[in-house]
Amino acid sequence: MNPTVLLSALLATPDSGSQGFDLGKMMAIIIASIFVNNFVLARFLGICPFLGVSKELDSAIGMGAAVIFVMALATLGSWAAYHLLLVPMGLTYLSTIAFILIIASLVQLVEMILQKFSPALYSALGIFLPLITTNCAILGVAVLNIDEKYTLGYSLVNAIAAGIGFTLALILMAGLRQRLELADVPPAMKGKPVAFLVAGIMSIAFLGFAGLGG
Amino acid sequence: MADMLKIGLVLMLVALIAAVALGFVNSRTAPMIAIQKELAKQNAMTEVAAGLSPGDSLAFDSLSVTSLENPYASCDNTLNIVRVSVPPDTSRIGYVFIAFGKGYSSTVQTMVAVEIEGVISNTMILYQQETPGLGANIVNPAKLISKFNGLIASQCLLSKDGGGIDAMTGCTITSRTVTNSIRTGLEAMSEAGLFDSGDTEGGMQ
Amino acid sequence: MSLIKDFTKGIYRENPVFRLVLGMCPFLAVTTSVENALGMGAAATFVLICSNFLVSLFRNIIPSKVRIPCYIVIIATFVTLVDMVMNAYLPDLHRSLGIFIPLIVVNCIILGRAEGFANRHPVLNSIADAVGMGIGFTLAMVILASFRELLGNGTLLNINVLGSAYQNQPLLIAILAPGAFILLSFILGFFNILEKRKGGRQ
Repeated sequence: MNPTVLLSALLATPDSGSQGFDLGKMMAIIIASIFVNNFVLARFLGICPFLGVSKELDSAIGMGAAVIFVMALATLGSWAAYHLLLVPMGLTYLSTIAFILIIASLVQLVEMILQKFSPALYSALGIFLPLITTNCAILGVAVLNIDEKYTLGYSLVNAIAAGIGFTLALILMAGLRQRLELADVPPAMKGKPVAFLVAGIMSIAFLGFAGLGG
Repeated sequence: MADMLKIGLVLMLVALIAAVALGFVNSRTAPMIAIQKELAKQNAMTEVAAGLSPGDSLAFDSLSVTSLENPYASCDNTLNIVRVSVPPDTSRIGYVFIAFGKGYSSTVQTMVAVEIEGVISNTMILYQQETPGLGANIVNPAKLISKFNGLIASQCLLSKDGGGIDAMTGCTITSRTVTNSIRTGLEAMSEAGLFDSGDTEGGMQ
Repeated sequence: MSLIKDFTKGIYRENPVFRLVLGMCPFLAVTTSVENALGMGAAATFVLICSNFLVSLFRNIIPSKVRIPCYIVIIATFVTLVDMVMNAYLPDLHRSLGIFIPLIVVNCIILGRAEGFANRHPVLNSIADAVGMGIGFTLAMVILASFRELLGNGTLLNINVLGSAYQNQPLLIAILAPGAFILLSFILGFFNILEKRKGGRQ
């Protein structure tokens, strides 16, 4: 494909020509993805890493950064594959397979590149990367972007905001769980049960953002 | 090298088999999905428009009005506005249209049957993915949408926005989006001259 | 004998949800009604059985270096299959499960059973394991969904149980997102107590 055609195809909006960027809509997407429809606490996406990596603050931040990064990349890849390959060829029914393969290979690629060029970053994020392939939040954001018919720009904004929302929940949870270590929890509720209870209370707090959705 | 070739070959084979299998199933299910969708739409139209002329079997002809572009056309452009008549008489007795509105967590689609004067005859929620227990209760007509029956465009306004319709408790966003999408649709149709308003005979395009 | 053991362990002793705490995302998200829970359970069980069968059948052919990508392709294929068939024949259920059908692909239970069991065991045992795990997952979802639907909406399988007076003022939080977390927390706590009692007796 001719590069200029490719570029214009990437920039054009799929439904209504080239409308450009609407700042109001963008803000609405950002607030909705971070707070109102928080991926972890309202949409139930990415619960496994949310419970697994929220024991310490440092690892929570590392995991959050890795998720934001991979989410943005995966959105880019899946958007391009869907609108430039699957739709023109009439193969949209293969999108689930295509997306998960794109995500899996992207994660591998990022891991290899980081290992080679930035050992410091690799040692910080490396152990979280393999976990990300099975993080349903990544596939979730790719599928949601297609369902919502977002343009590439909105898709990226949505992906990054969703990643920030995930990180926010993860960091809050990590802070709470560090304090919980010192608390006197009934033996039957120790570990996972009390973690879910805390997540439930946080989720109640996030319900309060509902009015912001507009 | 030989190892890599073998690995690549296996992967390709697996992907190929998967793609062929899915292509086959898709060729079988795709027409079925289309039929189901069409059937669901037909049933919904018959149900929602029944009040326009009780007891008669109705005919539906889709109507394309260029000034009435559906903002969500890419979701579903098979039906914008439908003109309703009682065969064999072809004069219209009303319209059915689908109103689209961005709700709390989904785009809510409401099917609306309107009499030729622009009075709402009946409404029905076609699609919603709102919060279960809250916004999702919109499918229960008694909660909100039955209140639209008999109203005209300007009366479709929540009491919070200065109108006379009470929102469902705890679900202002869903209630507002449905109310506003119906009003916007009616206003656009009236602007396009589809309604009979006293002296002027509705201009069909 | 081992077949029965492989089958039963998924239901209680190694229940994927209550004991191993896996597959949380669909588990929490679709349990707003028993109907959804049953639909999701059936879909996930079908994918689990098919993927365990194929992974076990080809366990000696697939090179171990690329086994994970192969498993993912196998799982994604069956998920897409379920997606299409459900869309064609059960459109209402397809609609209410929504995004969680494609997300069965990343359900850790399925990849976990392929990697942790099926690639080391014969075909029949793998199928028994898949059926057991599938039933265990479905059962767990139905338990949570019953609580949520009953408390949050006063119904069970859409049949009014608690009366219309309750339905006007239900315990709404049970059906909202926080209710899922909190009820699950109590159920897990209950299983912990149960397990401790059993341990004490032995």
